[in-house]
Amino acid sequence: MKTDSSPSLRSPSGPRDARKHTPKVDRSGLYQRAIRESFVKLDPRIVVRNPVMFVVWLGTLVTLLVTINPSLFGPIQESIGKQRLLNGIITLVLFFTVLFANFAEAVAEGRGKAQADALRSTRSDTVARKILPDGSIQEVNSTELRRGDQVRVVAGDMIPADGEVIQGLGSVDESAITGESAPVLKQPGTDIASSVTGGTRLLSDELTLRITSDPGQGFIDRMIALVEGAERSKTPNEIALTVLLAVLTLVFLIVVATVPSIAHYIAGFLDTALGPDVGNTFRSGSSIAILISLLVALIPTTIGGLLSAIGIAGMDRVAQFNVIATSGRAVEACGDVNTLVLDKTGTITLGNRLADEFIPVNGHTVESMAKVCLAASLFDETPEGRSIVQLAQSLGATLDDLGANGAEGIEFSARTRMSGTDFNGQEYRKGAVDAIKGFVRSRGGQVSPALDQAYEGVSRLGGTPLGVCKDNDIYGVIYLKDIVKPGLKERFDQLRRMGVKTIMLTGDNRITASVIAREAGVDDFIAEATPEDKIDVIRREQSQGKLVAMTGDGTNDAPALAQANVGLAMNSGTQAAKEAANMVDLDSDPTKLIDLVTIGKQLLITRGALTTFSVANDIAKYFAIIPTIFAAAGIGALNIMGLRSAQSAIVSALIYNALIIPALIPLALKGVQFRPLTADQLLQRNILIYGVGGVIAPFIAIKLIDMILPLA
Amino acid sequence: MKINHPKPTLFLTQSTSQTLETVAEIWSEGRRQKLPRYLFLALCFNLVVAPMVYAASGSELSRPQAWALGLLGLGTVALAIYLFFVMFVPERF
Repeated sequence: MKTDSSPSLRSPSGPRDARKHTPKVDRSGLYQRAIRESFVKLDPRIVVRNPVMFVVWLGTLVTLLVTINPSLFGPIQESIGKQRLLNGIITLVLFFTVLFANFAEAVAEGRGKAQADALRSTRSDTVARKILPDGSIQEVNSTELRRGDQVRVVAGDMIPADGEVIQGLGSVDESAITGESAPVLKQPGTDIASSVTGGTRLLSDELTLRITSDPGQGFIDRMIALVEGAERSKTPNEIALTVLLAVLTLVFLIVVATVPSIAHYIAGFLDTALGPDVGNTFRSGSSIAILISLLVALIPTTIGGLLSAIGIAGMDRVAQFNVIATSGRAVEACGDVNTLVLDKTGTITLGNRLADEFIPVNGHTVESMAKVCLAASLFDETPEGRSIVQLAQSLGATLDDLGANGAEGIEFSARTRMSGTDFNGQEYRKGAVDAIKGFVRSRGGQVSPALDQAYEGVSRLGGTPLGVCKDNDIYGVIYLKDIVKPGLKERFDQLRRMGVKTIMLTGDNRITASVIAREAGVDDFIAEATPEDKIDVIRREQSQGKLVAMTGDGTNDAPALAQANVGLAMNSGTQAAKEAANMVDLDSDPTKLIDLVTIGKQLLITRGALTTFSVANDIAKYFAIIPTIFAAAGIGALNIMGLRSAQSAIVSALIYNALIIPALIPLALKGVQFRPLTADQLLQRNILIYGVGGVIAPFIAIKLIDMILPLA
Repeated sequence: MKINHPKPTLFLTQSTSQTLETVAEIWSEGRRQKLPRYLFLALCFNLVVAPMVYAASGSELSRPQAWALGLLGLGTVALAIYLFFVMFVPERF
């Protein structure tokens, strides 16, 4: 006995990879804008925010001065023309190093801005029909609406601002923000379906809304600010890395600043020991332009130039998944998550639990039970309730048989764990079997062992059993069938390998919960959970020093979403849930939390890989520059690359240093390919690829550049 | 015919007050805009450093070279202070 799925709930259609954000992101002209922006970012007030690049920027300024006047800081050993040419080349290469770093950041920012522009195009001012206190309608501009105002929206109208449906029923096209073309049914009174977003369009009927946000503070406004990076602040890992880069830069600054004194001392010693002018090569090695080149080659310019681009790209990747993160901190936290707290319904299972079978007990027939089920579900607007009504009707039960005029609906609550209908002095109830047993006993009825057998039978199938009764007589058990989402077991296996524990929370009984948990492959489960259990399990995990991620959509999820390190709210959820969470999923697909963990880990791995690569590069650059400029000290043998001259070695190392930044931009933006490995395995892999690779690659590249350069 | 000249005392007072006003304006601008103040202080401090560099270099450097090198040294120290600042308040960068 199958029933059709309810039309009121929408699930994202098609495979996730095939889904796109509907407001088309126009990325044409992105690189032209980025080039323009990279010149704007040369403003010292902007460069000063990136310590490594600020040092390069200052170095460029000083080398420019010594290009204009080569003997500005002291006598030179070479001819003026030759020295000026070398200084000029160094200035040019340093300038491009800063420019390429700015370009990387500008490209990453440009992608976010393109997305913000697409969103901005959906946010046009509209005329709203404001309901005045006397009930009359006044047409006002949507920007004049304030929180608490009431407006009427008719089919075809753009919804003027974020709000809550207080009257009416209608389908809304939310594709402007979610990318889903399927309309969503909106109606008052339900936690999920009553919130509407400004900029979306009402397709049918009429709605009365209560505005929930002031102008400029709506959901789309906040999304624009976030994707544009207006509210971007440094994440803890970025802060730690900034400190590391500043320390490295300071150490190399001190080293390079003390080189002239040591060089002069050794030059004087060589003059005395081996004859006059022998130490001159040492003196030329400590010219200001060469010292600045040495400093720039040694400081971690690659990661310094790409650091902000990696962070912005991480946010962008999350946005491409139709998820809006309130901060980079939230995205990073995803990568560090140890525990995932997942709801069973909708996250692990398909969520559209439908009545599959009525199992009568106490000698009742399926037909008589169907009538009671229909009566108990008259006011139940949930998909489960509607599926029960449909199944009952397919079994021949009709409303006419009941004579339900003047019936009163009893709403479901977490405390009673049942819902139903009262009419003609009779009480029809359906709900958790324990709750129904308690209800029947309170009315003087008896509970037969057949009920427990039916209950266990349904639970062992992984279904949800719902007890049904009329007054003190139990009629049977409804089998609500739910299906574990395909491919989840493999995903949970991957998470386990990465050291992420999964906990499933469900209001179902222990038997059902254990069957589903085993089938889905979660590590732990909590059955018969109340909303309070969610926050308890998060606190318990956090007290063990773990980072916890969870999803939620209802108002009762808000405290847990706020407590979790990563709280992912569904866009279809209530305003309270969205405000408490640090991420909002526009597709309202709770399974996406698993993808977010992957993206967060990818962000951290990318940053770690490029830092390793950048620091490893120093070894080759050191071997390129030091042996050639101080060859007179007898360390020429260390010139293992056989570079032709000191000038060629310096310029080759600097050109490599500059070119590696744009070469790594695609990797910084796309991220290192994610593999579900443990932290140790990832570290080993990173060291092997980006550490050893970072040592070898510049040796080859610098040698090639040296061979191409016409500097003797 | 009697020519009336402004009283010398009054003229001096006006000139002094104008100068004081200008100094006060420069001072208030200097407090508001930090970079020119730091540059000015560096140039002043270089009046002490440059002769020391010149003296230490023997006859190798000319006076302008010593002055430029002194300023470069001060710039390097300032850069080191900036990097220390980044290390202690990284969230501002």
